[in-house]
Amino acid sequence: MELLFGAIALGLAYAFLGMGIFITMRIFNFPDITADGSLTLGGSLTAALLTAGVSPWLAVPASMIAGFLAGSATGAIYTKLKVNGLLSGILVMTALYSVNLRIMGRSNTPLISVRTVLSPFADIADPTLRLLAPILLFLLLVAAFILFLRWLFRTDFGLAMRATGDNEVMIAAQGVATDRMKIIGIGCSNALIALSGSLVAQYQGFADIGMGIGIIVFGLASVIIGDTLAGLFGERFRIGIRLICVATGSILFRGLVAATLSIGLNPTDLKIVTAIFVLLTIMLPQARAAIRGRVR
Amino acid sequence: MTVTRIFSILALALLTSLAGCTKEKTPSDTKNTTGATAVPVVGFIQAIEDATIDEARKGFYDALKEGGFDESANTVKIIYRNAQGDSPTLDQIADYMVAQKVDLIAANTTLAMITAAHKTSTIPIFMMVAPSPGIAKLTTTDSAGNEIAPPNLYGVYETLAYIDTSVAMIRTLFPNAKRVGTLYNSSEPNSVNSMERLRAMCKSLGLELVEESVTSSNETQQAAQALAGKGIDLFFALPDNIIFSSFETVYKTMADKKLPIITSEAGLVKRGAFAAYGADFYQWGHQAGANAAQYLKSRDPKSTRLEIVAVRKKTFNPETAKALGLNPPAGFEPLTSAK
Repeated sequence: MELLFGAIALGLAYAFLGMGIFITMRIFNFPDITADGSLTLGGSLTAALLTAGVSPWLAVPASMIAGFLAGSATGAIYTKLKVNGLLSGILVMTALYSVNLRIMGRSNTPLISVRTVLSPFADIADPTLRLLAPILLFLLLVAAFILFLRWLFRTDFGLAMRATGDNEVMIAAQGVATDRMKIIGIGCSNALIALSGSLVAQYQGFADIGMGIGIIVFGLASVIIGDTLAGLFGERFRIGIRLICVATGSILFRGLVAATLSIGLNPTDLKIVTAIFVLLTIMLPQARAAIRGRVR
Repeated sequence: MTVTRIFSILALALLTSLAGCTKEKTPSDTKNTTGATAVPVVGFIQAIEDATIDEARKGFYDALKEGGFDESANTVKIIYRNAQGDSPTLDQIADYMVAQKVDLIAANTTLAMITAAHKTSTIPIFMMVAPSPGIAKLTTTDSAGNEIAPPNLYGVYETLAYIDTSVAMIRTLFPNAKRVGTLYNSSEPNSVNSMERLRAMCKSLGLELVEESVTSSNETQQAAQALAGKGIDLFFALPDNIIFSSFETVYKTMADKKLPIITSEAGLVKRGAFAAYGADFYQWGHQAGANAAQYLKSRDPKSTRLEIVAVRKKTFNPETAKALGLNPPAGFEPLTSAK
């Protein structure tokens, strides 16, 4: 029970990371690896603010603003200084390491004895309800952000953003400032990733300077599992459904890790088994097509 | 048609993970049915994969065995999970241990301890290779101003006293030493804390401290070479994760310049450091394991409490001493290289 609910809650908290990476990777076609730093930025800023006694409902948006700034820095280095996209992300990510250490003043801050967004649920007597509460809260947030993004990407502004990724020359000819679109887009993506870091830190009970290292791989996996799911449903264009699939991908990934943990493999093999699970999930549509082809 | 098929695939995937989640419930189930005679279950959570940190786990297992809880004799069941340095996995491991209703959780290193303490306030946690809850900022302060650790936290911690003893040793072993070189990891809490203590200690002993900070084991070699070029008399190895993972680089650089390495961790002496005075990870894990065995026997949380490391050993490496042309120090236990 704890394992399954824990996997869902963690998957939902990381869903924002998947959604953020979805924006840069699928909408802007931009390989952004600021994520490693901006996730930790969300976590460390939240930790510093909560320890200073700031309300968690202020700390979360503050983290998002910080994430937005970090993302726009990557965007600005890429568009204005004409630095290679990958390198811009690497530069900001590297710089954020020091920034995060400065913010926390130490490399690890436990959040066990401070008030977090989850504190109101800590006293629920029924154990199942207590496990369910973070899931419901995160689900509510995920749903709210998916609705918001669905709306945003249908406005003129959002359509211009999508067009910037699809055909930059065309939309520039329409008079859209594509550089500005990219800076704002990468900023939004990292605001979501920082939100993820903030929620994860509050859920797992600490912020750590190493919490973002390699996390981009997990975000990419959620996006790709999500694409596979969307493909199974025959959905390729509707943003809302694709975002739901990304969030589901994030939960499925955590479910796979939970399954791997409970099967009781040698810990040494944990990562390769997780990788194989993801590979199998991504291969599903092809396997289905192959089976169908044979039946015909 | 397609939609139903998709749903069946999804349902299958979920069912598989669910089945996986419930699979290892057997031990706790048997416990429920057969009562007190059942085999106790110990959940061992380790945050990272590392040879030196594994020593503590060995010590813990051996102490359990000596206390009558031997996995091969079926008198205890140990569920060991390692997060491989990944914090979401660490979180899920703690969930898993709680779901398995283990009788106690053993937490190896600081992050494992913090995660476990966050997940449960009822299952006893036996910590090792972690600083005192006060240093880790895990304590709350009550109205009287006393620091209170989480009530279910037991096991063995260390304070910063190990810096004092091991630095004081520099003065006795190398009375003429003036410049001490050190590397520290600015991203590790224990490293930063120990560094402050080290600075203060060196100052009071009249030693000049030459520092280089690193943030990953890839930077160790350059930093070690930079230090060796700054005319230091010896190197002090702060026991942090970067030193553990890249000690051989430091050792080689210092050996080329015939500079001795002093540390607080006996495991590093096995890997080539000249001498150490401090907690030995095997003994540390052993002490926590002995406390855990004590608890498993009595089932009374009052039978155990959070303790400070009991054994601080003085060790030296005879091979390194020979290579450096130094005499074996009196009162130090020889430890040969693990290689």
